[in-house]
Amino acid sequence: MIKLVKAELQKLFTTRLWWILLLVMLLLVGVFLAIFIAVAGIENNGASFPGRDTPEWAQMVWASGVQMGWIMVMVLGVVMMTSEYRYQTITGTLLTTPRRAQVVAGKLITGLVVGALFALALLVFQAIVVIPTVLISGGELDLSASHIPQISVGILVSMALYALFGIGLGALVRNQVAGIVIAVVWTYIVEPILSGIPVLQVVGKWLPGGAASALMNIDIDTGLGRPDLLPAWGGALILVAYGLLFAAVASATTVRRDIT
Amino acid sequence: MRDSAWAAAFPGFLLPRGVAEILLKDEKSAILGRDNREAMTAIEIKNLVKSFGAVKAVDDVSFRVEAGSVTGFLGPNGAGKTTTLRSLLGLVTPDSGEALVNGRPYTSLSEPLTEVGAVLEATSFHPGRTARNHLRIMCTAAGLPAERVDDALGQVGLADAANKRVGGFSLGMRQRLALASALLGRPKVYILDEPANGLDPAGIEWLRGFLRHLAYDEGAAVLVSSHVLSEVEQTVDNVVIIARGRLVRQGSLSELTSNGGEAVRVRSAKAADLAPALEAAGAQVELVDDGTLRVRGLDAEAIGQVALDRRVVLTEVTQERSDLQKVFLDLTEGR
Repeated sequence: MIKLVKAELQKLFTTRLWWILLLVMLLLVGVFLAIFIAVAGIENNGASFPGRDTPEWAQMVWASGVQMGWIMVMVLGVVMMTSEYRYQTITGTLLTTPRRAQVVAGKLITGLVVGALFALALLVFQAIVVIPTVLISGGELDLSASHIPQISVGILVSMALYALFGIGLGALVRNQVAGIVIAVVWTYIVEPILSGIPVLQVVGKWLPGGAASALMNIDIDTGLGRPDLLPAWGGALILVAYGLLFAAVASATTVRRDIT
Repeated sequence: MRDSAWAAAFPGFLLPRGVAEILLKDEKSAILGRDNREAMTAIEIKNLVKSFGAVKAVDDVSFRVEAGSVTGFLGPNGAGKTTTLRSLLGLVTPDSGEALVNGRPYTSLSEPLTEVGAVLEATSFHPGRTARNHLRIMCTAAGLPAERVDDALGQVGLADAANKRVGGFSLGMRQRLALASALLGRPKVYILDEPANGLDPAGIEWLRGFLRHLAYDEGAAVLVSSHVLSEVEQTVDNVVIIARGRLVRQGSLSELTSNGGEAVRVRSAKAADLAPALEAAGAQVELVDDGTLRVRGLDAEAIGQVALDRRVVLTEVTQERSDLQKVFLDLTEGR
């Protein structure tokens, strides 16, 4: 299995897509961070945005980039699977490893690893921007009040799993463009609406994004009221269940199919 | 044989029961042993059937390929060649029948690249990846040493293009790269689907030599498919022809070519004088045109002898051996 994960990592790192996605992710997250830094402490219609020196601001900022992370790693997962069909490299892959369940398992593990690596890159980038900002603004980095450790774990776990979701989705649709569109629409439009608008949160909290937010224990009043989320352990369970579901989808769709 | 001789020499009733049983068991295992050796046929297709929807792509096809020989797998486009080969490689699950490599289904081979080298289509590469990286990934997944990559690229003449992206490769270069991927594990069985597609005449000539080298110098079993007979005619020992999913003919090349009867084409200014003499020597002679005869029943040497005796100058003596192309067309189109 280690051989297969190594081969999958080579597949990814011998093409250009991974660093393009990583760069786009960091650029977009950078834009978000810049906006958060700019609007910190501004009063608007009586509601004031937390100042840069408060733990609320640190918490909000620390969790702001993960959505971009989800989009990028899910797209990466979709491409890891669909490019095998698009360029017919699936033939060579299955000739080398004819036991297809092993191929799928190798890809899923690699997805988890790469998702986690992207999460690490995101966390390092956020640390480089956020920590000096807080300190320069005269604040103190209060780890427990800002929930930064728990949010970081949530980012790591959820991004690893979103990469795996992407692989499952890719195995299901096989068409690269369709897979990417579904991944982006889902993570960028459907999930934020369902988990951002309070009335819809009865649905949204059961989705991967809502479950991940529960795991991160984000407790911020966005102006629409405090989010209706599952407890952190519930979020973790739901996320793992989605992981198993997508893994099952990936193997069920790949193991029996005729490769013509 | 020795075991059965033993059993015959010591009939069971003369021997204590246990000993007789052991001898009989030995005989049985000797027979099983022979069966096992037969099962080690490099490639064996048994009563293979595969449908896609209502279309029967392969309909009860059986053949085998032995080590040290090149077998041409021929048929027009859409005859079921690719489906047969993909079933053999575990990519397509047959409806019934068996497709075995070294006696086992491909999907049960633990190190498939070291047993079977396959070339399926020259398009199955990621265009953004270099030739070397493509092979390196296969070596990693198969647990083969990385040095094999450069060896294989050298063998197919792609060493200079190793670090170029496959997207810029010509079809011929892709075919060579596909062949290189088949060579990585130094297998003894090769399954090649239309490997000559996209090769220029020099490339086809190179491929012929390479396939002969694999079969005769390295003792490999080579199964090579083609829809163009002339591509493989000079290379193969055996031929399997299918059309519309059904096996049409199989046999050695010589069996198939001799089918139409061998004729010798003879040209001479005095063809009309020569004809009766050849007939007197036992040949059937057909006057094709003024200066050309088609002679059956005598070989070239005998015809030359007759011409020498008659002091007739011959301007051409050609063995008209291959109307295999005609046989191929008849067999595949006639049905």
